[in-house]
Amino acid sequence: MKYKKNRNFVTGAALTGVMLLFVLIGAVWTPYDPEAMDRTAKLAGVSFSHLMGCDNFGRDIFSRVLKGSGTTLLTAVGTVGIGTLCGVIVGAFTGYFGGAVDEIFMRINDVLFAFPSILLGLVVISLLGSGNFNVVIALGIAFIPSFARIVRSEFIRCKNMDYVRSARLAGAGHLRIMFVHILPNTVTVLLSSVMIGFNNAVLAEAGMSYLGIGTQPPHASLGRMLSDAQTYLLSSPGYALFPGIVLIWMVLGFSLLAEGLKEG
Amino acid sequence: MKYFTKKLAGLLVTLLVVSFLVFIAFAVIPGDPATAMLGTEATEARLEALREELGLNAPLMVRYLRWIRDILQGDFGRSYRYNMPVMSMIGDKLPVTLTLTAISFALIVLISIPLGVACARYAGGVLDHVIVVADQIIMAVPPFFSGILITLVFGLLLHLFVPGGYVSWQQDWLSFLGYMIFPSIAVALPKSAMAVKLLRTAILSETKLDYVRTAYSRGNGTKAVLYRHVLRNALIPVITFLGMALADMVAGSIIVEQVFNIPGLGRILLTSISNRDYPVVQAIIVCIAFLVIVVNFLVDLLYKAVDPRITLE
Repeated sequence: MKYKKNRNFVTGAALTGVMLLFVLIGAVWTPYDPEAMDRTAKLAGVSFSHLMGCDNFGRDIFSRVLKGSGTTLLTAVGTVGIGTLCGVIVGAFTGYFGGAVDEIFMRINDVLFAFPSILLGLVVISLLGSGNFNVVIALGIAFIPSFARIVRSEFIRCKNMDYVRSARLAGAGHLRIMFVHILPNTVTVLLSSVMIGFNNAVLAEAGMSYLGIGTQPPHASLGRMLSDAQTYLLSSPGYALFPGIVLIWMVLGFSLLAEGLKEG
Repeated sequence: MKYFTKKLAGLLVTLLVVSFLVFIAFAVIPGDPATAMLGTEATEARLEALREELGLNAPLMVRYLRWIRDILQGDFGRSYRYNMPVMSMIGDKLPVTLTLTAISFALIVLISIPLGVACARYAGGVLDHVIVVADQIIMAVPPFFSGILITLVFGLLLHLFVPGGYVSWQQDWLSFLGYMIFPSIAVALPKSAMAVKLLRTAILSETKLDYVRTAYSRGNGTKAVLYRHVLRNALIPVITFLGMALADMVAGSIIVEQVFNIPGLGRILLTSISNRDYPVVQAIIVCIAFLVIVVNFLVDLLYKAVDPRITLE
């Protein structure tokens, strides 16, 4: 296993592994109902019964962080899924065939790529209306250009290689060459950009829910918790710190994995 | 000169394509601007009159050209919600966000270049290790969370500024800048971390090249080689990065404004999105897109200045 000595990869995999475990636990079990309010426990501090304390409604923060990180991760999976799928299709066709269509697509792509994804997401949200599902679509669309760009350049690099020529001589059609012959050869590059995609998607989702777009209360989301926690920053700093640390943990894991894959 | 004209032509084409995309995106959404402005109880005759007045009955291309002409004259249309010119709504908000972005940008340059050089110079040492690890962590901190941490530490615990105590620049520009420093740090942190990393890698890979050995063999000292030869080449990827980061920083500023309660473009964009006040959203997007494209153009010109070898393809 060539990744064994790769320190970034190992650290990233460990961080992400713990995170996934955390999210899985949150999916099946939380110590309290994350939406249950308890008047007697308003802004309670850290204790054995409430590992991360309670928020201003007396909801258990640990339970909410468990549930909220699940939401964030799920949104990221959807976002990266849409981005990768559409990006691969656009990138494959434009890279493989080239020509005028490619030229136009790339002009548009260049600008969209330079445009911050969270703003692109906000534009789509303003057209579609807010809500959790729309955030996935909005960010997914915003992520297409970066994937399309990477896949396109890989296809341009590969399309005249010997194995492609021989496949062509053997009578393989364009679609078969594109998706059966070339695509598997782009996997290493694609995998590391998928990890960067996760990194960015988690950040974008958190940013959007911080702004109050996306997950609506009373459902838990990390960004929303951070925005609510700001009012109580001095009296209960844990309310902001714990969701923030989990968020950093998640992003750090993905970014180290991306680094590791790039090196390996 | 040929380089400049070619790039300028590219800039104009991109501007046209992008403005058309923005126009189309907001033209095809379901919902009628006339109804949005007058409400659902308006009579058909009044709606029709307003549509005619707004020029909504004209063909799409004509509307696009009129829209472009109005923008060039500084007219971004009227807000559906407040029935006032969009320009007067965003006119004094834009400088606030741009100041925030500009200070952050200056901070990034001031922080990342010395740190990146120091890292590369003492590569493998303790300082280098500490910075590399700290770098990786800082990159993972979203600006709004570092904003919250800065509010907690510098605002609430050390009392260096009053959280939420924004002063507009018309009132007192010195207090305005003093307040803006803190959100700027939040915006600048993750980008500085990336720039440090990039510069460090670039310098280390440049130092392995032949011209560096030649420079040494001619009797230059470490400092002279580093600053006069290596840094100039190593800065190229950093310039690319900074150009691309600028757009992200505008987006970052819009979020961080919410943390520090700054009435910039961010708040007006968010309220317009929830009100479905499309002309305002459209105007803000056009402004930001314009900024992004122009900055990319300037970066291209800067390349040429730093490295005269660069030509078109």
